[in-house]
Amino acid sequence: MSSTSTLARPATARPTRTRPRKRGLHSPHVLWLAVPSLVWFAVFAVGPLAAMFVIATLRWKGLLYEPTYAGTENISKVFADPTFYAAIRNSTVQVAVVIPLMIPLSFMLGYHLNSRPRGYRILSILYFSPGLISISVTGMVFYGVLSPDGGVNGVLRAVGLDTWATAWLADPGTALPTLIAIDLWRGIGWTAVLFAARLASLPADVLEAARIDGAGRLRTMWQIAFPMVKDYVRTLTMLQYLWTLFTSAALILLLTKGGPGTSSTTLSYLVYAKAFAQRDLGYSQVVGVVLLLLGIAGMALIHVLLRSPRENPR
Amino acid sequence: MTTIRRPRRTGGPAATVLSWLYALLLAAPLYYLAVSALKTNIEIFTRPFALPTHWLWDNFSTAWRTADLGGALLNSVLISAVAIVLTLALALPAAYALARQDNRLARAITGAFSAGFLIPPFAALIPTVILAIKLDLFYTREFQMLFLPASALPLSVLLLTQFMRTVPPALVESAALDGAGHWRLLISVFIPIAMPGLVSVTILQLLTFWNEYLFSLTITGTAPDVRTVQVALPTLISDATNFGVLTAGTVLTLLPVYVTYAISSRRMQEALTAGAVKG
Repeated sequence: MSSTSTLARPATARPTRTRPRKRGLHSPHVLWLAVPSLVWFAVFAVGPLAAMFVIATLRWKGLLYEPTYAGTENISKVFADPTFYAAIRNSTVQVAVVIPLMIPLSFMLGYHLNSRPRGYRILSILYFSPGLISISVTGMVFYGVLSPDGGVNGVLRAVGLDTWATAWLADPGTALPTLIAIDLWRGIGWTAVLFAARLASLPADVLEAARIDGAGRLRTMWQIAFPMVKDYVRTLTMLQYLWTLFTSAALILLLTKGGPGTSSTTLSYLVYAKAFAQRDLGYSQVVGVVLLLLGIAGMALIHVLLRSPRENPR
Repeated sequence: MTTIRRPRRTGGPAATVLSWLYALLLAAPLYYLAVSALKTNIEIFTRPFALPTHWLWDNFSTAWRTADLGGALLNSVLISAVAIVLTLALALPAAYALARQDNRLARAITGAFSAGFLIPPFAALIPTVILAIKLDLFYTREFQMLFLPASALPLSVLLLTQFMRTVPPALVESAALDGAGHWRLLISVFIPIAMPGLVSVTILQLLTFWNEYLFSLTITGTAPDVRTVQVALPTLISDATNFGVLTAGTVLTLLPVYVTYAISSRRMQEALTAGAVKG
């Protein structure tokens, strides 16, 4: 981990200190060099994001048709649709289970990893590997593992729990929990590696001093190390929240197609399905706007809940 | 790894047990994937975790042919390569500018990229598809080559800026006294010093481009001549999926990434954690 901290160092250095000396050397014209990337970003990222709000007001039956203005028709259609409420419910369950489990578990595992336990190399390679695997490969791996005659049911039968074996992805009771389990499978180890890298950049003597002072293991972890990286915890929580909320569509598309029924339809998948399978772009983008608003609201909430240590005495 | 600066603070037995239990959970599906790739359906179903009795290497060639993985790999390489060149060509000058200038405007630009880094690209998937249609680049590889750099720009610019800020002002001054302009400064002073950051950004974004799925599926599409390997792989699923062939195809898709990881595991780990340590 020592080399990781070298990399993390520029991130924590204070760039402001050198600023006054540089300023005399050049004019603000140097910022023109940032223009091409800003234009690129505006055309391919900001533009589409803004267009979402316009498309939400159009009656648009599929990509190859001409849209017409529909005002708030799409909004009333979405808010009268039971599928939309099912998706709200599923997304809420997904986020409410994934985030509170993932963040503390990853922090503890990252803390453990940073203490370089026996077998540390193997652990860190394994924890890291979900970060290398694409969503499409993840989908294929679990398509095999979770199929009725796949690995999970094989294990259950081998240990005599035949009655537990089920078609995990085709059973309305298990489809969403299974997808949530895959989120956790992928996310915990990867986030733990990130926490370990961040913890490695802390001055070693602080944790050492706490230990010598007789602070217990749990106390050192939660009352000394945790407040020191709280800003980072907040950042990772926000990122994981946004990724969990927004990007579930791909895995759902590969594994359950939102079903059975609407049992695993999340808001993210609804955006995708309405646009490409059910050819209602206006509806899809109303949901997209809802998703964006939920993303921003959730971020604000996390920001308040995980205040930095300076604002929060302890 | 030569000296361990702090003594081992071994976690309690609970931490050890839990960390290995989770490691086992991570390893099991990957092991299952590897052994299934060499089996028939019947063997996969009846002896899921056993080693294959007869090593069925044919699965690999079947997967290669059925999903046309050769062409798909080539498309992935092509898209990733063009996209990374474009990303660096756009991000390096921008990072240079932001590292050299720290007025209100520069901070506003940094703020815009920071916000852009947070919003997942998926948010704007459908409008992006429409943009591809309007640009007459729907179902082509070219749109992904242009679009992927845009999604990679925020993080690339922010990371590179941080590395470029470590350039000592004295070095800039002496180079400027020699009459070096912005481009000379960028190429002969800033890029060499920011090289570790440049390598990290390149690895990180190449992996992201290589693994991209949903935009490739909806914009580049599933036609065999343009589709990427991530899109080609799921086509091995059918009403009568041959799981041996499917897992063999999955192994083939993963192989380039794992080979790279085996060669440069530390570099890669640095690159990927840097991406998120930035935040």
